[in-house]
Amino acid sequence: MGRIPPQYLINRLITLLLTVWIAATLIWIIPRLSPVDPAEIMLGRMAAGAGTVENADQILQSLRARFGLDDPLLVQYLKYIRNVVTFDFGLSTASFPTPVSHLIARALPWTLGLMIISVTITFFIGNALGALMVWERSPKLVRVAIPVAMIFTSIPPILSGLLLMYFLSAKMRLFPLTGSYGLTVEPGWTWSFAQSVMYHGFLPALSIVVVTFGFWALGMRGLMITVQGEDYTKLAEAKGLRPRYILYKYMIRNAILPQITAFALKIGLLVAGQILVERIFAYNGMGKLIYDAILDQDFPVIQGASYIIILMTALSVFLVDLIYPLIDPRIKHER
Amino acid sequence: MTDTTPTRAEHKLARKMKRFENPWMNPKLLWGAGILIGIIVLGLLGRIFWDPELVFTGSAPLKLPPIGFENLRKQAGIWDFPLGTDGAGRDLLALIIIGAPNSLFVGLLASCVGMGLGIFLGFSAGFIGGRTDDFIRVISDVMITIPPLLILVVFQAAYGDVSLTMMALLIAAFVWQSPTRLIRAQVLSMRESGYVQMARLSGASTMHIMFKEMLPNLVPYLFGSFIANVTTSIVTAVGLEVLGLGPQRIPTLGRTIYEAINSGALIQNLWWWWGIPTLLLAVMFIGLLLINLGLDEVSNPRLRKLS
Amino acid sequence: MTSPILTLKDLSIDFPTPGGLVHAVKQLSLEIDPGRRVGFIGESGSGKTTTALAIMRMLAAPGKVASGEIRLGHDKTDVLALSEEDMRKARLGRVSYIPQGAMNSLNPIMRVENQMWDGIVAHEGKTDLAELQRRSDAALESVGLAAHVGRLYPHELSGGMKQRVCIALGVILTPELIIADEPTSALDVVTQKHVMQTLTRVQEDIGCGLILIGHDMGLMAQSVDELAVLKDGELVEHGDTRQIIENPQHPYTQDLISSVPLVGGPSFLSPAVSAPASQKEGPDPLLQFRDVSKRYGDVTALHPMSFALDGDVPQIISIVGQSGSGKSTMGSLMLGFNPPSSGEVLYEGKNLATLGAAQGLEFRKNVQAVFQDPYACFNPFYRVDHALKFPFKRFGLSQGDDHTQQAMEDACEAVGLDPNLILRRYPHQLSGGQRQRLIVARALMLSPKLLIADEPVSMVDASLRATILKNIYDLKDKHGISILYITHDLATAYHVSDYVIVLYQGRIAEAGPPKQVIGDPQHPYTQLLIDSIPWPDVNRPWGTVTGDADSQLKQLQDHPTMFRGVIDGFSLSTAA
Repeated sequence: MGRIPPQYLINRLITLLLTVWIAATLIWIIPRLSPVDPAEIMLGRMAAGAGTVENADQILQSLRARFGLDDPLLVQYLKYIRNVVTFDFGLSTASFPTPVSHLIARALPWTLGLMIISVTITFFIGNALGALMVWERSPKLVRVAIPVAMIFTSIPPILSGLLLMYFLSAKMRLFPLTGSYGLTVEPGWTWSFAQSVMYHGFLPALSIVVVTFGFWALGMRGLMITVQGEDYTKLAEAKGLRPRYILYKYMIRNAILPQITAFALKIGLLVAGQILVERIFAYNGMGKLIYDAILDQDFPVIQGASYIIILMTALSVFLVDLIYPLIDPRIKHER
Repeated sequence: MTDTTPTRAEHKLARKMKRFENPWMNPKLLWGAGILIGIIVLGLLGRIFWDPELVFTGSAPLKLPPIGFENLRKQAGIWDFPLGTDGAGRDLLALIIIGAPNSLFVGLLASCVGMGLGIFLGFSAGFIGGRTDDFIRVISDVMITIPPLLILVVFQAAYGDVSLTMMALLIAAFVWQSPTRLIRAQVLSMRESGYVQMARLSGASTMHIMFKEMLPNLVPYLFGSFIANVTTSIVTAVGLEVLGLGPQRIPTLGRTIYEAINSGALIQNLWWWWGIPTLLLAVMFIGLLLINLGLDEVSNPRLRKLS
Repeated sequence: MTSPILTLKDLSIDFPTPGGLVHAVKQLSLEIDPGRRVGFIGESGSGKTTTALAIMRMLAAPGKVASGEIRLGHDKTDVLALSEEDMRKARLGRVSYIPQGAMNSLNPIMRVENQMWDGIVAHEGKTDLAELQRRSDAALESVGLAAHVGRLYPHELSGGMKQRVCIALGVILTPELIIADEPTSALDVVTQKHVMQTLTRVQEDIGCGLILIGHDMGLMAQSVDELAVLKDGELVEHGDTRQIIENPQHPYTQDLISSVPLVGGPSFLSPAVSAPASQKEGPDPLLQFRDVSKRYGDVTALHPMSFALDGDVPQIISIVGQSGSGKSTMGSLMLGFNPPSSGEVLYEGKNLATLGAAQGLEFRKNVQAVFQDPYACFNPFYRVDHALKFPFKRFGLSQGDDHTQQAMEDACEAVGLDPNLILRRYPHQLSGGQRQRLIVARALMLSPKLLIADEPVSMVDASLRATILKNIYDLKDKHGISILYITHDLATAYHVSDYVIVLYQGRIAEAGPPKQVIGDPQHPYTQLLIDSIPWPDVNRPWGTVTGDADSQLKQLQDHPTMFRGVIDGFSLSTAA
């Protein structure tokens, strides 16, 4: 298989760094343009808790100093960038003084786990079905039934999540309504905990899978039709190869390449969809973290969590880009 | 061939063959367009024949079920509020009459602005080339990776309430990348095509080449990309609304779902509260998908197979 | 008496289409004896490829064999009655197919040798890797390729190498019949000769039958034993090649033979008696290259050269070369589509790079072009008259819509098209030949001073080539337009031009009047080109392969330019 050409690697790396930098900067600039002052929100919260706050001005000032809001903007920005690079997002204002990075570290594994599982399953099922829709020797049922099922795949996962939750959890009580593990089990590396996690994770994963596989299936279908008309597929048949072998080695193997590129472009939207699914299932991941932070106007958490998710997205795109030249030998000859 | 009267199978074949003749008479395309027009008509007729004032809190009894159903308190649905009411006493029919066109509006506006940006940047990148091209290419590569939802969450959390138009414009800032990439790629390949060279030979100006020679041939692709962007924009808008962000004072489908979930409508079996907006959104997305599938078949005749 | 290797009996093939049933092949009967090479010749749509695919049982849906028999081999296997599995085994094992588009016929993500091994494994089951390696190396060697080629990916091979790989693949299981579908249509003449000779030698080695599908009577005459001429699905003539070439019976066969232009043969042109006046004004040469060169990155597409075309008398200058010779680069430099890397391109003494807007329009009006691909030249969105009307108005030639219409109709008639049938149509409704003639009509309508014709007939059916070249020739002969004719075809260049430049890898190999350069070539590259052209002449030896085309060509690179004489009104030099 191919080797990764250095120029290609450098280009991808630059894109990765640029993405992360632009995202971090956007996250920093946007609140600064807003008329809302985070220190005042904190103060407001304290006031709400204690009835009145004495020497409010003093507290406001110390808070501003603490968040570094009195420094010149450029200094603030450079400090922020330095902090972001070291994953230091400051302290949560809602659950003061927990560091934001702790909250993220707690939520991230849940999101990553759910995401890897659901995305892998959809990608495989979707592409397999898309390929079968085109293959001349697929059972008739496959070629007729899948397009019908595909109608539902335009719906965003949040809606399918609601429907599944209502029917399978609220009505039929097959699955728990919310949460990422049972209240009675102790988190740890135990079988009962693992069981509980899988049981709770099934519905969120399912609601993502049922509505996203169609995107891949449709794309694959188009690509397979193109590959089917290629000269090399015709020559493969003329070589007397077995139909199954042609399907795998000649058709799918070529048609999957643009799908992998599409995958890199689609990750961002998939992540966003999952965040929303987590929110409605009250799944202990980044989605819930962000949602709670929105309710509490907990700015450092919103910023930190958004940054981390964008970083994960950019990293996955980078990984996909790294894998690509290994499966397509032609990439060496492109710029 | 022997002379026989055509069988049913042959009739069917003939009908299928006809589809090759006029690609725009595509059943998927027509169905999809029909669904979207239906939603717009619902919004227009609804404002005439129904009272839009019913979207406000407390204008009706709380938690009434739709006609033909009973809620937990054994109340039956009444004709005054045929689709039931929510936990704050708002009429659901009025909510969807106002809310559904709002969602479409956000999608269309965001997609139009995004498409305009995309056409401008795509043509600039393809025609000017050099550093401009590099810059536009890298920026669109970068921006396509960043999930719009997250940046918008940060934005709206910082700013609080936004108007529908503002939300649409914010979303537009994230949907210009794919039309830009698409147009850039097409412009680069068309630049070398025979008819563009012919136009240059004919002394055509750059503007003429872009808009008179290239753009008409891009229409099926642009249309497809436009519809895909409408879908993405609505998904993003609904996502923000379900997170409790987005416009606070205007009824939207997403915000209705947000309120329903927050009030425990799922456990209380108030299915109509979240279910009706969910279904309506689902129908809208199906309509958009059908249009996109239809357009695919228009621009790629190989998809219109006989099988 | 040997029994035939392939028997086609009353074979008919139908395709249902929106317009009704199309009979692609009608009642075809033919026998092929072992070791014989049979050429199927005809134009596109004559049913030659369809017949071949029917033998492989690979007809594209919804086409089907309506009636007739296909019997393969000494045991007269009924191909149409074989089971799926038996048919699969027969492919490659008994009949192999060498496809037309060698460029895309190999799986781009598999190494070449793996694509040979999977063929063996599919027929013989699991085979030892060392044995597979031995057989693929042997097969590659038999077509003159080194064993290491097997370990490359298709995109690392040249077109000729890919086609040889396809041949190696076709013979790896020693089939009884090879079907080669226009195996050299994408290759240039030097490579074509080598690939054809590889194919016939390999075929002789294993003693199988060969069907060669093609449209070039010259290539057929020099490679096959028997000819089968197809027209609209019917076999119109079949017999010994020599007999058909020397004494064709059917008028269609006669057309096919006479449409191949011959170097030194009778001209298909009839020059006008009185030369028309040139349209040129002013003392500066019409078009001039001053030490022009062009580089793309590290590759030099065109080495420095200078020429001046006076244009006082209309002339046709031919630029002849194979792909990669820099001839199309020259065309694009002359049209100002590309700036030169060094030197200046001057139009009537003005540098193209510094033309103002008004001068630019003036240059465009006076320097027009005809491109290779008539299918791409029309915007599919507009009716074809858009391509004629737009420049006419843009250059300010129009005096109102009626005048434009009249001019379009006159131009169409001048190239032999019926304006009422053509002008209001969409491009896809016209044939390639019609489109190319419309482009010539467009040039005529604008009456430029200079026309750049870049391979104007290479994508047009053979029977129309002479007509279109005649149309172009008339532009010079009747309308006083000077022409730069860019082509790979020495024979047509011989007939139409006043001066010929042979380009090889961006350098001028040989230049001078056609009678000297092409009639009596002195430069080894020109000699090689002329030797490689297949002629419809069975007696002409086409030579035998000696060595590898690539290495043979490499030696010619440094051979100095040969100037073979001068003509008035055109001067040429390379940089010192």
